Amino acid sequence: MDRARVSRVSMRLLVLVTALITVSGCATEFDRRYAAAERLQAEAAAAGAEWLETGKLMDQANKEAAGGNMDAAFSLLDKAQFQAETAIKQAEYEADAWVNRVVR
Amino acid sequence: MKIAAAALFLIGFSLLVPQGALAGAEEDRVAFVAYFKSRFPDIPFQEYANGIYAIDSDARDQWLEIEDFPPYEFAVERGQEAWLASFPNGRTLADCFSQQQENVRIMYPRFDELSGEVITLDVAINNCRTANTLPALAYDDSELIDITAFLAFEARGKKLAVRVPDDQPGALQAYELGKRFYYTKRGQLNFACADCHIASAGQYVRADRLSASLGHTTHFPVYRSKRGKVISLHKRFSGCVRDVRAKPFALQSTEFRNLEYFLSYMSNGLEANGPGARK
Repeated sequence: MDRARVSRVSMRLLVLVTALITVSGCATEFDRRYAAAERLQAEAAAAGAEWLETGKLMDQANKEAAGGNMDAAFSLLDKAQFQAETAIKQAEYEADAWVNRVVR
Repeated sequence: MKIAAAALFLIGFSLLVPQGALAGAEEDRVAFVAYFKSRFPDIPFQEYANGIYAIDSDARDQWLEIEDFPPYEFAVERGQEAWLASFPNGRTLADCFSQQQENVRIMYPRFDELSGEVITLDVAINNCRTANTLPALAYDDSELIDITAFLAFEARGKKLAVRVPDDQPGALQAYELGKRFYYTKRGQLNFACADCHIASAGQYVRADRLSASLGHTTHFPVYRSKRGKVISLHKRFSGCVRDVRAKPFALQSTEFRNLEYFLSYMSNGLEANGPGARK
């Protein structure tokens, strides 16, 4: 095998390995952030405060990730996480605030 | 001993809820009724059993025309058949209830000391089935809804008489949790039940006017024109929770049963007039 051919094959292998590392890195990052969002969703649910769309957003994020659309997947996951965090804050605030609305 | 246990429970429970939350069910009810009396001075107390038709005269005219041929009539007839039908062991639903059938509806929801939970009519019917070797029905099963429609029809004219017994601390806790649910904002729209049905009662939300919470439970189950069938009170709860973009609780969940307990107590003294008919 001449040196030019070896160089071309090496370059292709390098590109392939880099792509695989990138995709697997994204998948790992996605799994980590998905698990974090899931924990927050469960916390919101335990407080009886989960919002309607949070679960749907996470399902959609999963589908996008499975299709390799990582930008869309992360964007949906961010929205789900924001919803879960806000729902938890809402529940914490309401723990005292509801009393002020009681008709007296 | 029982009084001491109740006192201990109340002290413990009062530490869990914010100051001022424990006002007592009857005190709450009197204030609730007084609020609507002040808000709508021309509406007689018993009219609140008619829900939004007490407030919206145009909708009331349409409803009265609908009542000429009640759309829930078939559900009531099917419910009566199910009520009278024998279980495989020869017993019937009626055997599970100590009251005359016209008094069954108004006795629920009630607090059951043994299970420590609020028992609604729907749950009581399912308990009766399982005690007689039949499987429980799903809480949106039309057979179950039909039976409640029949019992609601039989109870027409009887006044709601839900009890929160002083000597049952669990009952007060369930009532307070229902009250808390009612006044707690939830969902993406950050709304409490009270925001729509107290503060904004009578106001428009899109093309419809919001009903007053006083009387909310008297007329369920209701035939909903947009669904073409009779639905339960908890289905309506679920719809409201969804409308404020919160994840609904399951039908007959503890949360919804406690809410029903609170709301029903608020409507004590009003006549049962179900099944109702709504858009």
